[in-house]
Amino acid sequence: MTNYKVCVVGGWCGNRMVMVAEHLEDVFGKAGFPCRVTTHSVWENYSQPPVSNLVLQLLPAFTAAETGCPVINIKPLLLDLDHPPTIEKIFAQVQADFAIKQHNPA
Amino acid sequence: MKRIERPIYLDYCATTPVHPDVCAAMRRALEVDFGNPSSMHWAGRAASGLVAEARAQVARSLGCLPEEIYFTSGATESDNLALLGMMRRYLPGDAHLITTSIEHHAILHAAQQLEREGYSVTYLPVDSKGLVSAEAVQDAIRPETVLVSVMLVNNEVGSIQPLSEIGAITRSQGVLLHTDAVQGMGLLDVNVDELNIDLLSLSAHKIYGPKGVGALYVRNGVQIEPLLYGGTQERALRPGTENIPGIVGLGEAVRVTRQHKILEKQRLSQLRRALIAGLQENIPGVIVNGPSDSVSPHILSVSFPGADGEMMLIRLSGNGFAVSMGSACTSHSIEPSHVLTAMGLPREQIESTLRISFGYPTTQADLDAFLQAIQDVYRRAML
Repeated sequence: MTNYKVCVVGGWCGNRMVMVAEHLEDVFGKAGFPCRVTTHSVWENYSQPPVSNLVLQLLPAFTAAETGCPVINIKPLLLDLDHPPTIEKIFAQVQADFAIKQHNPA
Repeated sequence: MKRIERPIYLDYCATTPVHPDVCAAMRRALEVDFGNPSSMHWAGRAASGLVAEARAQVARSLGCLPEEIYFTSGATESDNLALLGMMRRYLPGDAHLITTSIEHHAILHAAQQLEREGYSVTYLPVDSKGLVSAEAVQDAIRPETVLVSVMLVNNEVGSIQPLSEIGAITRSQGVLLHTDAVQGMGLLDVNVDELNIDLLSLSAHKIYGPKGVGALYVRNGVQIEPLLYGGTQERALRPGTENIPGIVGLGEAVRVTRQHKILEKQRLSQLRRALIAGLQENIPGVIVNGPSDSVSPHILSVSFPGADGEMMLIRLSGNGFAVSMGSACTSHSIEPSHVLTAMGLPREQIESTLRISFGYPTTQADLDAFLQAIQDVYRRAML
């Protein structure tokens, strides 16, 4: 587990948000990108998500300017946890971030 | 976004606040007339009198006799009692039920239970405006059809179903007609004789009464089986000690809404028209779902193409506005509204849909504030 933090942002459907987060943590681990995945429900807590390296949102809650990190919309995962274009987009961002981390470990 | 001074509730289809007159009547029933109507002494007689008065109030509003009204715990129980109570008088292979694909789940899930028990059920489709056709009812009737159940007003898009025409058909065919009148009772004129209705469900909390109480109208001579067994309350069709404060609240709510119905219908129609005009002027591309004329004035279903309805709802709520949306969360997926789906709306449109519903406390100033807020909310909820 690294200190790379991913936050999955969801709305009213807390169960689904947790399912997506657990699935992504598993997928990241298997792909060699051990991340700490947390969740943040804007329905429960109408505020900014915790400080993260990447925000993956199931609904258009935040912009990158608001979170201070890249934000990717992952709504298709609500219907298909392995939605290929969305997973590809996430991995592209995670790979880029891990590459930067390897060059700048501090 | 400009903060509003007080929360603005625009979800009157979900539930309504209890009217002050209803509160006062219920308080008297809780504090003073607390007796059990089945008791023979003075306290029982007083409570029994309250139940009788509430029954008469409900009966007056429907144009029926007091003895045709049975108090229940709400519309879900009334719907179940009507459908299960009627169909179970027949053997499963001998009875057929007709209903529509846009009914409340209290009807749809009761119908599905009847199917599991071996009864035959037909679910009629609706058109793109959320209206069922009387001709479709006519065509679906079979020799073994026992009951037709069609709602009065759809709770998601406000479409008023052609009950008068359907009632004429069912009456001429010797088939019984039930209607879930939950969303129509507060604003529409409902006369069970004029509409040829044999069974009718209503709920108190949609018409400024308390939650947990409703009623079922059963035309004299129509026999149904009880769902519960116990005492002889409600002529043994719905046994159990009566919920006196709730029943009193229902009676008073019916009285209050009946008193203001005509003016309120006009006022809400104007508010609805003004809100539609404001939305169309400020948010290009908005789509109003449901019929343009045969629609209840207190319900407005609007799609905001390209936006996420859930995010809009959450942002509106965070800014003090209460509305509802066109899809619901289950444990494993987001389920689009069965009503909007039956109307043929694509999933993306359903997920961008909000239902705004009005009540007697709603003012033009409330809708002006909503109109101002929705523009920013819409912009920020674009996918």
